[in-house]
Amino acid sequence: MSLLKFLKKIEPDKKSSPFLHTLFDGFFTFAYAPDTVTKGGVHIKDGMDLKRLMVHVVLVLQLCYAFGSLNIGHQHFAALGMYPDFLDAFHLKITYGLIQLIPIFVVAHLVGLGIEFWYAAKKGHAIEEGFLVSGALIPLIMPPDVPLIWLALAVAFAVIIGKEAFGGTGMNIFNVALLSRAFIFFAYPTEMAGDTMISGKEVWVSGLEFDAAQLAEGVKQQVSYYHWWSHGVFDNLFSAFGWRTFGEGGVAVADSFTGATPLGLAKTGGWAAVAEVYTPTQMWWGGLPGSIGESCKPFIIVGAAALVAMKVASWRVMVGMIIGCALTGMLMNGFTAGYEDPSLSYLQIPWYYHFYMGSFFFSMAFMATDPVTAASTNRGKWIYGFFIGAVGLIIRVMNPAYPEGWMLAILFMNVFAPLIDHYVLESNMTKRLKRA
Amino acid sequence: MEFFNVFIKSAFIENMVLAYFLGMCSFLAVSKTVKTAFGLGLAVIFVLAVTMPINWVINEYLLGETGIFGTDLTFLRFILFIAVIASMVQLVEMVIEKVSPSLYNSLGIFLPLITVNCAILGGSLFMVSREYNLSESVAFGLGGGFGWFLAIIALAAIREKLRYSNVPPALRGLGMAFILTGLMGMAFMSLMGIDPTVYSVGN
Repeated sequence: MSLLKFLKKIEPDKKSSPFLHTLFDGFFTFAYAPDTVTKGGVHIKDGMDLKRLMVHVVLVLQLCYAFGSLNIGHQHFAALGMYPDFLDAFHLKITYGLIQLIPIFVVAHLVGLGIEFWYAAKKGHAIEEGFLVSGALIPLIMPPDVPLIWLALAVAFAVIIGKEAFGGTGMNIFNVALLSRAFIFFAYPTEMAGDTMISGKEVWVSGLEFDAAQLAEGVKQQVSYYHWWSHGVFDNLFSAFGWRTFGEGGVAVADSFTGATPLGLAKTGGWAAVAEVYTPTQMWWGGLPGSIGESCKPFIIVGAAALVAMKVASWRVMVGMIIGCALTGMLMNGFTAGYEDPSLSYLQIPWYYHFYMGSFFFSMAFMATDPVTAASTNRGKWIYGFFIGAVGLIIRVMNPAYPEGWMLAILFMNVFAPLIDHYVLESNMTKRLKRA
Repeated sequence: MEFFNVFIKSAFIENMVLAYFLGMCSFLAVSKTVKTAFGLGLAVIFVLAVTMPINWVINEYLLGETGIFGTDLTFLRFILFIAVIASMVQLVEMVIEKVSPSLYNSLGIFLPLITVNCAILGGSLFMVSREYNLSESVAFGLGGGFGWFLAIIALAAIREKLRYSNVPPALRGLGMAFILTGLMGMAFMSLMGIDPTVYSVGN
């Protein structure tokens, strides 16, 4: 008996156990192409169904995951003043990163898919695969030490309010992954702003928890962080090979550690302050504190190119966004050229350096191009991308309340995407009516 | 420059609907199609931009102690502002009825209700409390109206798109509009906190 026959045999009955049937159907269509093809919906391209389309994005994101888990470990040890070279103690860094990243990944999927399965069973339709991509994106845009309960709340908010309330996959107006990030951002502002002195917690660099009493005296001491059941187990393994081990933990944070990101530095002192700490090469390759998967630009560009080549993502949005950001940056440079005022130093950062800092490329490749929430006409895509670039840079540079602008710029333009489409369609109609 | 700053600030940074949640009733009720929303938005821009300077003149030259009566008549402010707004709305109503009867019919009761649209009276009262001068109050009227216009057509376009979505029955209509307004408010928070005056000083 073939496996397919066996699977067909154990298929639960849809009427008597709808939830089990939904679950079965979801995983079955993962393994086998279903014999029913797409009848309608938003992504019709060829016979390929939605799940296969979305898997491309998930595959492309694997590079970011690999880099992200190494970078979590690197930032952790760099804060403690150990192994400053990026590939030094590779096994410790990647193990540390995976121990940090896997729970985030699992929680995001458990909560998101759980809600999605529940809704699918309740409404009696097949599982909508929309969460595949959102679930793969959400861990990458979280800070490495995000508490799992925040993550669970944020994902639940984004999936229920942002998607299921709108009618499920393909119907949402706002980008689900960004909604979850925005939820965390607005719900826990002190921690997300990196204010360790108040919270005693550093979310942007993994593995640092400070003791309140010691912090008051100005001592930043890492407090008992390595767990025996995770890091300890690996320590036993590594010492068996004679490799370096994690050790006991409780190491003091290096004096040079600030945890400052390029954008934070730019806000206070312009490009000069950034250049003191980071070189452009370093920012380009992404060995910086920040969200887990956003920092390595070459890997993201490879991913973006692959998505464009497979015609999954729209190059119009990407190019529009680069043009918008570059033009706005040039305008800022042009208007402030020749002024010495320190409050203008951020505006005077050469426009091309804005591509080095922060998460421009990640938002461009994976967030702005989301086919559901972006404008869907070709001309609309140019406009949509252009305004994301422009508004995002304005938020990043001119709004003192937020360190980075792309998340909010994309949400902002999500509001206007249907409007852009509406007017593009109207103008096409009037043009054709005139021709007729 | 000041004119421009006030315009940007009132249109985007402190949007009447999405930051102060003023003018909600017509915002929610008339945002079903882009066409009617567009018409109502234009009407609000016009009424705001015209009533604001008139109210400024009234407040400055009739009501204050320095005004022509020489006594403090500020207790009359509300009644006079509303009277000005009502007469403007009457004018708009007559124009729309003459020019576009179909828009007049689709707006229905909400056209005369602009009179009690809190965004409009709110605009005039903001103008008084923020002590704008005449040109700033014109900019504030235009900007506030434009922000309101932008918000309502964006919501209308989203709601037109949602007509093809499988929204849970309990949320159809107003429920969805409320959720959307909240999420749009969150998106507009992106520009909140920008202070345009900082940059005009440098120039």
